[in-house]
Amino acid sequence: MTVSASDLVQDIGGLITLPDVYLRINRLIEDPDSSIAGIAAAVSQDPSFTVRLLRVANSALYSFPSSIDTVTRAVTIIGTSQLRSLALSMSVAKSFSGLPNELVSMENFWRHSLLCALAARHLAREMRRCDPDALFTAGLLHDIGELVIFNRLPDQAVEVLQRVLDSQDELPVYDAEREVLGFDHSDVGGELARQWNLPTLLQECIAHHHDIATAQKHPRETALIHIANVIALMAEVDTLDPEDVPRIDPHAWEVTGLDEDVVEPAMRAAQVEVVEIEQLFLDQK
Amino acid sequence: MALSPLQKTPRMPLALPGFEHVKRGWNAAHECYAARIMPGEYYVTKNDESVYTTLGSCISACIRDRVLGIGGMNHFMLPATDLTEADAWKSASISASTRYGNYAMEHLINEILRNGGKRQNLEVKVFGGGRILANMTDVGLRNIAFVRDYLKVEGLRVTSEDVGDIFPRMVVYFPATGKVRVKRLRSLHTNTIASQEKSYIESIKAKPVSGDVELF
Repeated sequence: MTVSASDLVQDIGGLITLPDVYLRINRLIEDPDSSIAGIAAAVSQDPSFTVRLLRVANSALYSFPSSIDTVTRAVTIIGTSQLRSLALSMSVAKSFSGLPNELVSMENFWRHSLLCALAARHLAREMRRCDPDALFTAGLLHDIGELVIFNRLPDQAVEVLQRVLDSQDELPVYDAEREVLGFDHSDVGGELARQWNLPTLLQECIAHHHDIATAQKHPRETALIHIANVIALMAEVDTLDPEDVPRIDPHAWEVTGLDEDVVEPAMRAAQVEVVEIEQLFLDQK
Repeated sequence: MALSPLQKTPRMPLALPGFEHVKRGWNAAHECYAARIMPGEYYVTKNDESVYTTLGSCISACIRDRVLGIGGMNHFMLPATDLTEADAWKSASISASTRYGNYAMEHLINEILRNGGKRQNLEVKVFGGGRILANMTDVGLRNIAFVRDYLKVEGLRVTSEDVGDIFPRMVVYFPATGKVRVKRLRSLHTNTIASQEKSYIESIKAKPVSGDVELF
């Protein structure tokens, strides 16, 4: 029996849900009658999220000159739509703790995601008309389909990774997935993002980061995540040699208008920042 | 997938006797056949082909006769003992553990000499012994200490090594030229590699090495 990417996502419907704090903030932001005070009140309903939000607002991610000590001030300074991105980013690891697997530790999985998020944020600041917080979230979520595959199809996932190693790590993981499963983690992640009604920017970055030519509405952001993913891999194994990581699609440079000089500073920044913020974004008990 | 006539690959060279079972495949990037060895295996060749493996806390020694270009790679580790110090293998009471390392090293060296290699021409490179699982005792260190000491006692000089650290490694060795490509692997592969090494350790515990190997 063959399974499709959407079957898998149907399967896990009840196991993972969008974070409550994200849903509350999202509802208020969509509501034209809402106020900053109302959004701050929604944030404050989740004490652990509130504490972490204030720590993030005061971290190196935002170089605000003065310290931010109230939720209202944090919401005002960060901005409501950026707050929505942050709420999703800061709670998503917890949502996925319901999908354990034997293949990769959650710590290692989210560290790669966080490195990609940080690199994406860095690149977004180099580009015009690009929201660094939205791109941070896209980076954090780009591989979520992997967790679904590892949890639902563990035996096939083992075969996928063995094929990659047998190929001397030259066969990309997504190609090995297509060979073994008929679809890859970007298909599964994209399907999940659609089902969750996430913003189209996130849907496209997740679904097309390995095949950027197929992005319809957000080609620049998708290409940016494609680059950030490779930078995250470089940061993880601490290398600047392009031979050590998958090739960046040359088209991604054209679409984003970035050039290869951005790689090293983005990688170094991500390596430093990940140490500070890992605890703020990873699974909170 | 249809094979285009332009991509016709040369016929696979014959393996040396005793190595026919080792899985080999054409590697398009390096344009040569590549033999894939798993924990506990080794491979020696006279051909212009490569040998590759993935390493967690295990060690691979890459040895060749640098004049004749005959050489190969092994892949081993010492089973755990009750002693935990990095130099615990020095104790006589754990010679049973180092026997697996001696066995792997002697087999590789003997096979090279048996096929015409000269001891004085041997060139040695050593890889692996990473600490890929943060919550485990550092068994990699013990493997590194063993192989360094073994080579010292045998009077074989190491010309290159990349050992320790926290990364799993992909090692590709070309015995004909002595070239090695070591690639750090992302943590996505950690558990796959750790579980291959774990089943190897369990298999050698269940089936102890008997007798000694004579060195030429």
